This record gives sequence, structure tokens and C-alpha cells, in this order.
Amino acid sequence: MMGSDVLQQVVNSFLIGSVYSLVAIGLTLIWGVMNIINFAHGDFLMLGMFIAFWLYTLVHLDPIFSIPICAAILFILGAAIYRFIVSKVMNGPLLAQLVVTFGVSIFLANLAVMLWTPDFRLIEKPLLSGTWSLGAVQLSIPKFAASLGSVLVSASVFLFLKKTKTGKAILAVEMNRDSALLMGINTDRINALSFGVGSALVGIAGAFLSMYYYIYPQVGGLFGLISFCIVALGGFGSIEGAFIAGILIGFVQTLGGYYFDPAYKYALVFLVYLITVWIRPQGLLGW
Amino acid sequence: MRNVTRRRFLIGGSALAVSMPSLVSEGFAAPPKAIKLGGLYPLTGNLASTGLDCKRGAELAVGIINGKYDLPLPLASTEGLPNLGGAKIEVIWADTKGEPKNGQAEAERVVTQDGVVGVIGAYQSSVTKTASQATERLRIPYVCSDSSSPTLTERGLKYFFRVSPHDGIFARDQFNFLKDLEKVKKQKVQNLALLYENTEFGSNVGKQENKYAQEYGYKVVADISYTANATDVTSEVGRLIKANPGVLMHASYITDAILFTKTFKEMGFNPKGMLTMAGYIEPGYLPAVKADGDYIIVRSTFALDLAKRKPLVAKVNDLFKKKYGTDMSENAARSFTAPFVFADAINRAKTTEPEAVVNALHDTNIPGDQVIYPWKGVKFDPQTNQNIYATGTLVQIQNQQYVTVWPFESAAKDVVWPFPAWKSRK
Amino acid sequence: MVSVRTLTRRQISLFALVLALLLLYPLFVKGSFPMHVMIMVFLFAMMGVAWNIMGGYAGMFSFGQAAFFGIGAYTSSYLLMTYHLSPWLGLLAGGAFASLAAAAIGIPCSNLRGHYFAIASIAFAEIVRIHFNNWKLVGAAEGLTLPILDQSLKNFEFHSSKAPYYYILLGFLILSLLVCSWVSTSRMGFYFRAIKESHDLAKVVGINFVRYRLAAIMISAFLTAMAGTFYAQYILYLDPESVLILPISVQVVLVAMLGGSGSIMGPVIGAAILLPISEGTRVWLGPKGTGIDMIVYGTLIMLISAYRPQGVWGLLSRTDRRKA
Repeated sequence: MMGSDVLQQVVNSFLIGSVYSLVAIGLTLIWGVMNIINFAHGDFLMLGMFIAFWLYTLVHLDPIFSIPICAAILFILGAAIYRFIVSKVMNGPLLAQLVVTFGVSIFLANLAVMLWTPDFRLIEKPLLSGTWSLGAVQLSIPKFAASLGSVLVSASVFLFLKKTKTGKAILAVEMNRDSALLMGINTDRINALSFGVGSALVGIAGAFLSMYYYIYPQVGGLFGLISFCIVALGGFGSIEGAFIAGILIGFVQTLGGYYFDPAYKYALVFLVYLITVWIRPQGLLGW
Repeated sequence: MRNVTRRRFLIGGSALAVSMPSLVSEGFAAPPKAIKLGGLYPLTGNLASTGLDCKRGAELAVGIINGKYDLPLPLASTEGLPNLGGAKIEVIWADTKGEPKNGQAEAERVVTQDGVVGVIGAYQSSVTKTASQATERLRIPYVCSDSSSPTLTERGLKYFFRVSPHDGIFARDQFNFLKDLEKVKKQKVQNLALLYENTEFGSNVGKQENKYAQEYGYKVVADISYTANATDVTSEVGRLIKANPGVLMHASYITDAILFTKTFKEMGFNPKGMLTMAGYIEPGYLPAVKADGDYIIVRSTFALDLAKRKPLVAKVNDLFKKKYGTDMSENAARSFTAPFVFADAINRAKTTEPEAVVNALHDTNIPGDQVIYPWKGVKFDPQTNQNIYATGTLVQIQNQQYVTVWPFESAAKDVVWPFPAWKSRK
Repeated sequence: MVSVRTLTRRQISLFALVLALLLLYPLFVKGSFPMHVMIMVFLFAMMGVAWNIMGGYAGMFSFGQAAFFGIGAYTSSYLLMTYHLSPWLGLLAGGAFASLAAAAIGIPCSNLRGHYFAIASIAFAEIVRIHFNNWKLVGAAEGLTLPILDQSLKNFEFHSSKAPYYYILLGFLILSLLVCSWVSTSRMGFYFRAIKESHDLAKVVGINFVRYRLAAIMISAFLTAMAGTFYAQYILYLDPESVLILPISVQVVLVAMLGGSGSIMGPVIGAAILLPISEGTRVWLGPKGTGIDMIVYGTLIMLISAYRPQGVWGLLSRTDRRKA
């Protein structure tokens, strides 16, 4: 029988892990379809959080209800960034593809500083707050909501890709861009769509995260970095891979911090990633 | 040494130009040249919010020196520096982005290009380290009132002075508080948990606290160094709960302070007391956590309730509020003092010549009623150039206000001890 | 792709002119800041050239150069402080350690392509950073404060003027350029281009590509570590936050890309443009504290990579493109 402290850590691992999954799913979609790493992903997350914060502060809309608005705004932003910036490098050198989103990242983070100052914000009393006590285990309600959201979002993206026509077109582009083009799929439209959807997904993650995490312009940095590892660990473009990898990273970080050393917990995350790609360069569920 | 000689010649010359009018008499209307100081702060990047806060404190101080104010602060009642013909202080602000290499580059730039005669600021100890190394090489005095690493004044620098207390003093204060608690309030603490972030600041505090724990005879049941700016701290809090300490000592910047507070509540971590540093007293902390910050004790040099004993504090805070629209924070209050110390020394030296200013700094003796802290004043140790009167106070958050609770004799309110369990609140 | 070829006579005389101007620069500028800016230009140009050897030629886009930079800085400083070893020997030791670290990461990662390699290099550099941040032997987060010694070439410390630092680093930069040009014209350079064109092709034609990639990483790491030792001797203080962080790695990549990766002089031009901009915007716009300087910087990166991905060098050498 597990001690209650261990059980608590297992629960916490799952909670933070599923939040990571939620953040990473949008990234894996973009990465898989376009073969582009969006280094601004963490900053999109930051924007999602700020949108939720301002909706709460200005019009008293709870983050749980601002999810669709965050998703919509981020969708438009993502599609626009694709259209005006990213699409220009799609046929350019690989290096330009790698670097362009760094520019977007620096731009967005500092735009947020200029617009909203570098101060820290927190949504004071979201609808979902507090904890449930299940025996000796404490379950944070907003984190639990975020995990549920993560499972739901992953499942619906999964079904969207497998069942709908547009989804199948996205998968076709992901598998082979040239043949998809030959089949009459407008790959540019699919790209814009996936960039938009990927950004919308991280907007949803931002709304969930804003229920319990502090918000400031640089908040996306570490989340972004960890999601790159999750995506590469799960395999490019693999939704289920990203979900599993996110949970795995959650366990590595939390149990590593609990049993080994909190100062090294992120080093363990990166180490697990390196070891995995060494053994399986295509990631856990990549092909 | 060629450059230095030429530069010093120039500065000597300009000092002469500055002091001339006062010798000649006030009839000659030529306004005295401004005395330039360099102000280094992280004005962009991760710590920009703190840097801007510090800058405001120093700005207000310069305004008081340059204008006429009826305040018991050095040089407040006169416009500018009377011994230099009423010369005004002008601060050349420089952005370090919080990077040590920029600390050095900016210190050198403001000295060699803008011709500043002294440097203040930097906030982060690592940046202050390189910046003060640069001014030492250039032989320009540096007065710091906002960096708290004990190592800064242990380097044997001749031109570097620190007004504010360092982390070693703050750490010792926490232990003195625990002893006083035992003596006066009959509250015995058995053991401690030390929790500190793993940047320069936190690990230094951890070192000092470990040292004092041994000296004062407390058992450390958890010694946790954790990654700053973490995404999640449940594993750290899990360790704390398992260790079940009487008192938690936490050193963190604001991001971690917010996240830990939320996680303490979420996981129900209830020690008898929480003694914290830095992040818990940043202006952004309380607005972010609101009532969840209650009963946490923070080290401080400053609290608005000092006004009860020191009307000066309220007057300065009113000026601050009028100018910036918010109450003066601890950071702003700490950075507030360096310009006064500089102006006072330059005024007494009657010149901006570096050696004379350094000598005047050594003779600094600002009485306690002319500072906005509960100190006996400002006087530098002749060896280390650390202000020997700098001490800390402990403030406790009560009803979302910082109130002074220790030293007991200057307490504005009684300390709430033990820390009320999370579940029992409201 | 920009092809590599021997320099024309006109280019050689152009370089000679630029070099002469650079040699005279310290005599004409006043104050330390213009010198500091040029030193930063050289420092990042040197790291950009080193990056180019792996990225531009061997096609391994490393976003983890800060690890090698930091290892170089830490090795020489630690040896100086503990064993009073001359920083010049420390420089070689730092290069050797960085090369070993590069091999340790290069062997498992040599199979990784494009994005996977980029992410792996970030992960590696982050592990190094976290470890140094907690490693008591090298001062952990407190870092190392180097002793201030008498100024001399032997001590690699100069206090009254930045000119000696300037000339030493210019020498390092020229050395890096020579190494890079040797690599690109040698047999190894030919193989690198083959590897970059196609992994599979390179494998099929029987090039032992792991070996050559490894050589590229190790050379690049060695030069980057030299830059690290220079940094330590120049600032005389180092901590993980100042030498091992991701923004340094990114800056190196940007310098190489902006100038035009895959050309020898590209990173030098990139650094000559980017560093004065970033130092200049900090000085002029930073004190306002609005983040506007970084907005300008970010916009510049977006625009260049989206609209001029071949870099400035690609624009300058039109003839080159016609040939290619």
C-alpha cells in the first residue's frame, strides 16, 4: 500500500503532466504538419493567459467561460502569423524556419511588457478554485479541471483528425506534403488552419492555467521549452504521443523533485528526453 | 594608466568648475554644473518590474535633494548642494537587463562617457558585483543600497559602500526573532525547514541560515534548494510536509513566492511560522495572493507603519504616492537612501573629486532620525564599508498589510503566532 | 546555397583594408563603451564562425553553444583560482573539455536531424546550466570572482585600457576564420557539404559521417570555449546566468544567420550588424523600461528570416549566387 505522501505525489504528477500535455498538443500539431518548431509557443500561452486575465478583470468573465474567446483570438493570431511571417519561410532554408519564430517570441513577450507592464497578475477568485480532500490526498480543483480539459481536448483533436474531412487532409499533409498536393489538397490553407488550430489549443491551455498560475510577460519560457521536449519525445505530430509524453514528463519532474533533488528536476526532464531520442530518434510514437 | 590619468584630470577640472561659483559669490548667475550620478537597474527583462520600482525610489530622493522640502532628510531644506553653489544632482539611468556583463559595460559607459562621479544601484547582487569591480578599477565611488549579497562587502573594495543590511544580517535577525519569541512569548520552536531558490541570492541565504541554525542550536529537518521560476512546486511542498518542521524559512523572488503560497494552501502545509525574504515583500506579491499572504512574516528594512514612530516615513510616502500613485514599496524605500548618502558626502567634500568623496563617505554619520528606516543611522565600517547601523525588521502580513512585529520594542502590532492553519481560516 | 571558393584578389584587398581599419580603431575612439561594443562584436562573430562550422557546413543547427562557451569560461577560471594555472593554458584546457563534452553529446545525437538536433542541443545546454548552478566546486549559483592581478599579457588581465583585450580577441577571431576556411576548403569541408545535402546520400557513398560530424562539433566547441575563456578574463566574474543561458545560444545562431550561414565571413557581418543594434537599443531605449528595444530586435529577426533568409552576405555577393 502506498503511503499517502507518495499517493499525493502521484496525483500531482498526473495533474502537472496533463497540463503539460495540454500545452504541448497545439505545438505537436504545428510541428507535425509544417515541420516547423514554433519557439513562440510559450508566448502564445502567455497571451492566452493574459486574455483570460483581462476578460476576468474588465468584464468579470470567469476563465472557464473565456476558453472559447481565448481559443478564437489565438486562432486568428496564429493564422495571421502564419500568413505574414511563417509562410514566407516555408520554402526557405531550414535555419530561417528555426529562427523566425524566435523573432516572434521576443516580439510578443516584449509587446506584452509594453502594453501591460512587467508586473505579476493573478486571477483572484476564479469559479474553480480551492481543493478537495480525498482522504489524506489534496486535489486542487483548478488543476483537476485543467487535466479534464487536457483529456477532452486531446480526445477531440484526435477524433477531429481521424473523422473529419479537414482533419484527414491535415493528416495527409503531415504524412506526405507532395502527395497531398497531388491529391488536390490546398496545403497552404491546411498550413494556415493547423497553425491557427495549434495556437487556439494553446490559448485554451492558457485559460486553464490562468485559474491558478501567476501571469506575466515571461511566463511562457519554461512551459515552451518543456513542450518542445514533450513533442519531440512523443513524436512529431502525434497527438497521443504528446499526451503520453506530457504525463511522463510530469511524473519525472514531480517524483524526481520529491525523491531526488528539487534543484535538478528540470535537468532530469531534459535528460529523459535526451536518452529517449538517443534510443529512439523518432520519439515514442513517431514514425 | 594613461587613460585614467587623463580622465581624472578632466574630472578634477570639472570639479573645480563646479566649486568655483560658490567661491566667487552668488552674484554671478551662472548656474552650477549638475553633479552626475549613474543609476544602474534592470529596467527591461525578467526583473524589470523590480528595477523600475527601485528607480522610482532613487528618483524621488534626487527630487528631494534638488528641491526645497521641509523634511528632516539630509539636504532636503536647501535646493541642491549648498557647498557646491547649489549644484543639482542628475542621474544618468542605465539598463542592465539584469546581466552581469551589462553591469560592467554600463558602469564603464556612464563613467567614461557621461562623466558621472558616482554610481548607485544594480539591485541584483551579481550585477552589482561586476559594476562595482568596474568602478573600482576606474576609482569612482559606488554607494549601494539595494543589493543584499553578503559577499559584496567582503571583497575588500575601497570605493564600494553599502547602506542597506545584507542577507547575513537578515538571516541572523530571523534567528534572534525566534530566540525572542521563546523568551518573551514563551513559544518554543524545535526545528526548522530551510527552503531557498538556487540562484545567487537564495543559495547565499541558505548558507547563512544553515550557519546560524547551528550557532543558535536549531535542528534543520529539511534543507531544500529548488529551481527558481518553476512551473510547479508540489514536490518541494511534499517534502516540507513530510519533514513537518516547526518553522519554515523561505528565500525566494516574487514568482516563486506566489506559487509557493498557493501550493502551501492547496496541499495544507501548516508550520507554526513562516519566515520569508524578498519575494514576499515585492509590491506585486500581495495584490496577487491577497488574503492567502496573511500571517506570513517577511524580513524588511521598511514598513509604512513605521510612520507611527517616525512621521518622516509618512511624509516621504505621501510624496511618493503623489508622484507615482502607489505606496512606497520596500524596494523603492531601500533604493531611496543611496542618493542622500552620496549627496551628503559630496557636499561635505565640497568637490566631486573621487578620493575626497571616498574620504567623506568614510566620515559619513547620518543620524537615525534622518533615514526612513528604524536604524540608528548610517556610518560605514572602516574595513568593509558596510553600514554598521543597518539592521532589519520583521513585518507580518495581517489583513493584507505589512505590519512591523519585530523587534518587539518597535512593533506596531503583536505578532500572530502560531500560523493559523489554512483550513481554519474564514 | 552559397558555394565556397577561394577568394578573389579584390576580396582579399577589401579584407586587408577592413583589417587595417580594425587595427587602428582603438587609436581613434574615446571612452570604453565603443571598445566594449567592438569586443562584443568580435566575441559573437567568433562564436558565430564556430557555430558555422557545425551549422553552416555540417548542417547541425546547434542552439546549445552556451554550454561550450560556459565550459570554456569555467574551466580556465577554476584552474586559475585553484591551481594558479595561467589562463592561456586554461584556454587550451577549456577547449579540450568543451571538445570532450561535444563528443559526449555528439555521439548519441549524431543521428538526429534538423529540428530534433536543435531541441537536443537546447536540452543538453540546459542540463549543463542546471548542473553548474548547483555544483559547489565551481561556486554554484554564486559563480566565480576572478582575482584581480597585475595587468600583463601573461596574466591575461588589463585594467587601464581595453585595447589589449581588443587585439587579443581580434587575433582569436582571425584564428577562427582561418580554421573555418581550412575546414571549408579541406576534404572534410567537401564531405560536410555532402552530409548537409543528404544524410542518406552521404551514407550510401560510404562517408563515415558520424566521424566527420563529430570532428565538426569538436572544432566548433573548442573555438567557442576559447571565446568563453576570453569572456571570463574580460569580465573577471562569471556565474551560470551570465555564460550558460539560452539567449546566448540564440544570439550566436542569429549572428550566423543574419550574416549568411555557410559563408566564411557571414557571421562576422552578422555580428557587426546585430551587436551594435542590441547594445545601442539597450543604451538608448532601455532606460525607458518599456521593452521597446527588444520589440525592435524581435521585429528585425522576423523580417530578416522571412524576407532575406540568405542573410546579408547573400545580398552582398551577387556574383556568388550567379555562379551557384
